[in-house]
Amino acid sequence: MSSQSPLIKTRKPGERLFCFLLVMGSTYLFWQAYNISGLSSLSSPGAFPLASAAVMVLASCVAFLNTLKSPAAEGVRFVYHCFPPVVAIIMALILVYSIVLDSLGFILSSFAFLFISIQFLYRRSVLTTLTITLLSLIVVYIVFRLVFQVVLPEGIVPEREILSAIESFVEIVILWML
Amino acid sequence: MDALNYFAMSWLSPELLGLTALGTFLGIYVGAIPGLSVTMAVSILISFTFSWDVNYALCLMVGVYMGGVYGGSRTAILLNIPGAPSAIATALDGYPLAKKGLAGEAIGLSTVMSVVGGFVGIIVLALAAPTVSEFAITFQPRDYMMLGVLGIMLVGSLSGSSLARGIFAGALGLLIGTVGLDPMTAEERFTYGVVELWDGINPVAVMIGMFGISEALHQLHHMNKAVVKQKISRIIPKWSDVKKYMPLSLQTSFIGVIVGALPGTGGDIAALMAYDHAKRVTKKPKVPFGEGAKEGLIAPEAANNAAVGGAYIPMLTLGIPGDAVTAVFIGALFIHGLNPGPLLLVEQPHMFWFTVGNLTLANIFVLIFGLTGIKLFSKIVECPKGVLIPLIFLLSIVGAYAINNAVTDIWWMLAFGVFGYFMRLYAFPVGPVILGVILSSLTDENWRRAILSERGSVSDLFINLFHSPLSTVLFSVIVLILFTQSPIWTKWLRAKIFRPSH
Repeated sequence: MSSQSPLIKTRKPGERLFCFLLVMGSTYLFWQAYNISGLSSLSSPGAFPLASAAVMVLASCVAFLNTLKSPAAEGVRFVYHCFPPVVAIIMALILVYSIVLDSLGFILSSFAFLFISIQFLYRRSVLTTLTITLLSLIVVYIVFRLVFQVVLPEGIVPEREILSAIESFVEIVILWML
Repeated sequence: MDALNYFAMSWLSPELLGLTALGTFLGIYVGAIPGLSVTMAVSILISFTFSWDVNYALCLMVGVYMGGVYGGSRTAILLNIPGAPSAIATALDGYPLAKKGLAGEAIGLSTVMSVVGGFVGIIVLALAAPTVSEFAITFQPRDYMMLGVLGIMLVGSLSGSSLARGIFAGALGLLIGTVGLDPMTAEERFTYGVVELWDGINPVAVMIGMFGISEALHQLHHMNKAVVKQKISRIIPKWSDVKKYMPLSLQTSFIGVIVGALPGTGGDIAALMAYDHAKRVTKKPKVPFGEGAKEGLIAPEAANNAAVGGAYIPMLTLGIPGDAVTAVFIGALFIHGLNPGPLLLVEQPHMFWFTVGNLTLANIFVLIFGLTGIKLFSKIVECPKGVLIPLIFLLSIVGAYAINNAVTDIWWMLAFGVFGYFMRLYAFPVGPVILGVILSSLTDENWRRAILSERGSVSDLFINLFHSPLSTVLFSVIVLILFTQSPIWTKWLRAKIFRPSH
């Protein structure tokens, strides 16, 4: 229900290429599905993937042919409306984040990711961004690592040592107060 | 007696009670904050909760679902931005009411009617599910296969701009679901000799990518939308109003349950149909529809919450999800070792009554949280997107990692996230992909069982199909959808409609 199609469908820049790539991709998958068990029997392991891939090829062909007929949308530019620089930059940031997550550990990499992306998207003073980043990181850490007990990559930060140090410190304080 | 015990389980245990409350509370905010969706939240929650005891996880997720469907209405009323698709119809009359300074009253009334709708949905679920389940035991493998195909086709045809794109998305999902070792013969499918692929692509990674990452990437397009604040007055609705609108609310609740129970249609369509119904039955509205008619606010709100109970009927009795949210939910049930389907009520009746009790509890929490905490609410909803979006990315990535503590799942999630971004951009619906992934093994196995039981003969399968009334109906519906969406039909229809005018 989200998109109400106008009377004459227009096509966005890159739509034709995207549909063409879908046709190519589906054809490749069709060939791969055929290689599983060929057309040996209708109940073979390859039959269902082959049927799905065939439907994909057909449906993507129909979608591609429709884009050939529809006129280009006026005043819509790919770089501005479809793939603006902000999306590309954030995608790159996410990519870097997931690469370093395992080696640097959750705390360091998430701190860097949050700080850079919030600074870039929210554009306030460095101090504001720093406060927001630290606060949200602490909340996420407490909720997911400590309450939900989710295993997060440790990386180079000796997290367990720090946690046990804090624990023993709290124990000492409690004992001392009693 | 047993049923009552299971029903009360989440009411009596303090932990379960607390988790349901927390889930409902979170759900209201998730539903209300534009940019966060229930589908997104439940996908991410699955990854964090799958090591939990199933009851705990279910309490949290049921709460989020129930709260989320309701929460969308608040932003629809206050900001004219539906927080969730099911609140689109709510904004039509809710926002004009808020502009007149009646925001508090509108929120109060919509809360009460949502809860009424919720209860109607739950009662119908409790009464109808056992019967449907008994009937479902007689289903043949071919019926299951056709139900699966039908569900994907309906979601595909209703959610996108064209049937071809919806079908493509559904078929892609089915194909993604077949990756890995074939469950019947252990033959490798699309694994390219990689051992890690034997278990297939984790559906949770696909879900988080398609609903978390791709959705958040899309939000980057609308970063600088100004928000108009509304004053909020008294929030507890007038008793006379509640009494006056109760008949309409009950009528639209039943519309909601039925629409919710049909495969392929969920709360959003239920709400729009209920709005239309209210328009037709209200002969003399005090205020015209679209300018702040209370009828136009109540009808969709009662219907979309009633649809939750309705959606649970096919989900628990047939294992067939009605829409993307229930598809994600079925994924969660599978991950927790439950097998939604006709045998669920026979083998694990406690799970069914537990869910019914839990839904009821969550509904009560909607009432409590709905009528309180409005000050805090307006603060949280103003959370700037520049902060919110990086946090969604963070949770998505950590969530994908948490499924198996493997970086591979992050890569899958990112790949599907970027692909989903372009799919959304070019009007390919992403819901059918998830539906396909979830229904893939069910459809595959039942297709093969059906064809094996006919000794591999398609013609026998086809002939026997018409001996069973159920199979005949299902088959006709599938053919009908395909036909009515094809260009030949539209051309014929156009010719027929336009001829008299010439």
